[in-house]
Amino acid sequence: MPVRIKVKNAETGASVEMELEMENTIDEVIESAATFWSKDMGAYVLRKGKKVLRGGNSLDAAGIRADDVLELIPDPEGG
Amino acid sequence: MRQWQSDKSFESFATLDQGFISTFHFPRRMGKKIKVGRVDDDRYERSKRIEWLDLGSVAKAKVLMIGAGALGNEVAKDLVLSGFRRITIVDMDCVVGSNLNRCLFFSDDDAREKRMKAEVVAEGLRKLSKEAKPQAIVGKVQALPSGIFARHDIVLGCLDNIEARIHANSHAYAHGRIYVDGGMEGMIGKVMVSKPPDGACLQCGMNRSHARVASLRFSCTGTDVVFYEPKLAAEITTTSIVSAVMVRECLKAISGHPEMLLRNTFYYDGQKNISEELEISLDPVCPVHRAKSMGYR
Repeated sequence: MPVRIKVKNAETGASVEMELEMENTIDEVIESAATFWSKDMGAYVLRKGKKVLRGGNSLDAAGIRADDVLELIPDPEGG
Repeated sequence: MRQWQSDKSFESFATLDQGFISTFHFPRRMGKKIKVGRVDDDRYERSKRIEWLDLGSVAKAKVLMIGAGALGNEVAKDLVLSGFRRITIVDMDCVVGSNLNRCLFFSDDDAREKRMKAEVVAEGLRKLSKEAKPQAIVGKVQALPSGIFARHDIVLGCLDNIEARIHANSHAYAHGRIYVDGGMEGMIGKVMVSKPPDGACLQCGMNRSHARVASLRFSCTGTDVVFYEPKLAAEITTTSIVSAVMVRECLKAISGHPEMLLRNTFYYDGQKNISEELEISLDPVCPVHRAKSMGYR
């Protein structure tokens, strides 16, 4: 059964609604959101509140529910 | 007439001179007397006022710092000023001109002569403190023998690519060493502390997007950067904040206060003026933890 969640772009403040299946993974959400916003090639993480979500987890395993708001943030790798 | 009196927190010294009594109160700190005029002779006098800080352990600790770029310069500076002396610096790059807006120890001459970063930083640390005993290793961390991690008390990652971070993280974890990793891009910075044997490690927080760019270098310059790799925004204020947090975690760990360490990742956004701690849970399928549980090193 599909669920609707909102993903926010931490860099611009924009957000997008996504309709997903509970079997979709966090990695897939990251890739879809990054593609949608034409993000530069780089490392990103998805967070729900203070928690960083594990890429390989399904939405169900990650505890994501309908109407949740997730945030896509860059993972800075420069030094 | 002179007379000493003392109570729990102060010692008093009174003089009678030409009919006037002057009384001087000297605060007693940690049961010791402070002699007027002598307190500012001690390089670490102000550090000693931090009660939990164990400067003796800090002075003896062996720190492995991987990366001598922007972050490495600031971290090295903070380490020595904080009292660390035995610092091994690993880096494979040479100094170039665009490093100079955020690398304290590099000069125009170093860039012109293409001097190796690790050696320049080591030289700078010796000038900063006579007590500092830095050792420079020019080369990739992946090329070093694994035993180097065991020979140090703590490992700091000041790197610009995910591959090297993964290597440093996994080897530090395998040898039971706390690994403090710093990263930055423009006004955004992060610090993560990996605490073996039970804490989440750096790799627990990675996903497919990290794997895609693992071999890229997020560096401003360097011998291996090709022209199409993205050059990142980098400036000294973010570098200073990230390095300060990294060295502070190092001080906590070496002073024997693991309970004070960051639980996971310190995330900072200087443009939005926010800083927060993000939670990364241990990933049971993380290769680092699986290798450890299988007894691999």
